[in-house]
Amino acid sequence: MPDSSPVAHRHARQVQKNMQQGTIVSFTTVRHPPAGFPVQPRVIALITLDDASMILAPITSGAPMIGARVFPRMQLSRINENHLRLYDIAFEVLTPKSVPLDVSFPGYLLALTGPSGVGKTTISRQLVSMFATHTENVPILTTRKPKKGDDGEYKYISKKEFEIMRARGEIVAAVDLPSRSEERSYGYLATDIEAIWHKGMLPVVITEMHLLESLAMHYGRRSILSFGLLPPGRSKRAMLSALLHRLRTRGRETEEAMQDRLQNAERDLAFFKEREDLFDHLITNDNLDSVMALFQQKVPSLQEA
Amino acid sequence: MNSPIFLTGYGQTKFGEWWDKGLRDLAEEAMTAAITNANIPSTAVDMIIVGNMIGELGSDQAHLGSLVSSLLPHHPPALRVEAACASGSVALHTACALLESNRAKTVLVLGAEKMTDASTEAIAAALMGAADSEKDRPSGLTFPGIFGLIAARYMHEYGLTREDLSLVSAVHHRQAVENPFAQFRSEISPEHISCSSPISDPLRLLDCSPITDGAAACILSTTCQSSIRIAASQLATDTLSISDRPSITSFTATQKAFQEALQEAGITRDDIACLETHDCFSIAAVINMEDLGFAECGEGIEIYRKIFENPEASPFAVNRSGGLKACGHPVGATGIKQVIDTAKYLKTTNTRFGAAHNFGGAGATCCLHILEHTAL
Repeated sequence: MPDSSPVAHRHARQVQKNMQQGTIVSFTTVRHPPAGFPVQPRVIALITLDDASMILAPITSGAPMIGARVFPRMQLSRINENHLRLYDIAFEVLTPKSVPLDVSFPGYLLALTGPSGVGKTTISRQLVSMFATHTENVPILTTRKPKKGDDGEYKYISKKEFEIMRARGEIVAAVDLPSRSEERSYGYLATDIEAIWHKGMLPVVITEMHLLESLAMHYGRRSILSFGLLPPGRSKRAMLSALLHRLRTRGRETEEAMQDRLQNAERDLAFFKEREDLFDHLITNDNLDSVMALFQQKVPSLQEA
Repeated sequence: MNSPIFLTGYGQTKFGEWWDKGLRDLAEEAMTAAITNANIPSTAVDMIIVGNMIGELGSDQAHLGSLVSSLLPHHPPALRVEAACASGSVALHTACALLESNRAKTVLVLGAEKMTDASTEAIAAALMGAADSEKDRPSGLTFPGIFGLIAARYMHEYGLTREDLSLVSAVHHRQAVENPFAQFRSEISPEHISCSSPISDPLRLLDCSPITDGAAACILSTTCQSSIRIAASQLATDTLSISDRPSITSFTATQKAFQEALQEAGITRDDIACLETHDCFSIAAVINMEDLGFAECGEGIEIYRKIFENPEASPFAVNRSGGLKACGHPVGATGIKQVIDTAKYLKTTNTRFGAAHNFGGAGATCCLHILEHTAL
């Protein structure tokens, strides 16, 4: 009997070696499959497997074509007289999705992420001045009021304007950070980033964890060369105390605000660990010159500068 | 041939669907016709070879040698040979070997098949026995499926169209009108063939040879002379499964068997006046023209196109009987029927050489006979 259990057993031993991709040599639709098989018309192909052997097997999905690539799957083939369910290889034609050809890779972003006080602004300013012909800062849109100590990195707009722009999709990444007094929103304008690309330059964004995540969502993770900046220090404690020291030297904020920032910093440090996938390099900012040298080494478009 | 083997007599039943005739009745009718035609006493038969493929599955009958031997008064020694659709011609080949070795002087070669007693599904499953049961069958393939694969590939490689393919069956049906033994004796237009119901794409119902009851018999003898001589009998074999072959658009067994048969007969292709070729499916006939060397690769259809437009235009006759398509294809009888039709053609047209090309499975076994007609 063709489908008896011992026959099925011997056949099953052969199956594993045939679980390979292959190419259709020819195919046909059998309108009246033999007894035991489902009665629907059955598409069967002669397939050259990747090890050059050939196999006759059904095609279960996709539109077969001579020369098309097929992928193996184990599927229920038929049920024998003893009600044994017989599985066999069937192949699927995977039709590649067409990709519009006129989309070109616009370029990439250099993202600097790190806790407050780690030196993001200093580093970005240094980068832009050292490599003035290669890099440009992306201004941060914010709804907060200008503060003493802001150094041209912000574009100030009203909450209403921000919401309108966000609704229009002009803001590529946005985050709402509650503070003690008001809700502040931050973000980047797509036109700002794209204008820098059009100039053939590398946009440098100062960012934080939420903005980095949404940038990665918007442009794709591979479009971002992402640097995490760590304060000097071997332990978390040492790092945090280094940060506190810097914040105090900066002298912009009240002690209370600094304690808030320190708490956020702790979360930022944990984020480096949690979302390792969002960072290409983690750099300790202990000496500006060596950090710059490192950037020149790690950033492709700065290597020739 | 080491010694001349004569086709002393032949006979066949009308091919068709015979509700009132069993396997034994068919065999007896063909055998009697052959013995009568040979004009010899039945006791002159000293050996019987029976060609049959699905006796067990179609009629619950094995042991066909004895079955046929029982029909003669002296019960000569008998054996059965099986080579799927080539069973008939392989029976002839076996008989030639026995005659050449002088084991026998006069052999009755009988091909018989009873296919309409069982259900169509059972017959389809039985015919699938001609393919590889481990490599071909588990995919759910049928025999038309195998030739569907071959046709699809052939069309892809050579640009043969569906309309081209329909010329083959149209020619065969037209030629069968004159054959009183054919199952279907009506002309069918190519357009009608192109829109018959699909069986296994691109093949349609009227591309496929039918399920048929029938028997055919020959008397081969080294002693009882006749005007027809077996000039060559050659057998060639290829892999059972098409998945083991480098190409599925030609059959190497056909090429080899015909090459060697021409050599054995000491003739060239141009000497062949008529050909009975194995058109189990229309695409097979196209491929055969190329494998037999009558057409270049991809141009086999041109012979059919020529015959369709003007039957006299072809330098040699192809399937004048109507082929398997229109005569019917009682599997084990076909190879013998082809030899009979070749002999008839040579006699009626008074031409010299004719070839009968019969294969089993998807060209896995091929047996070729060349007949020579000499006026006595």
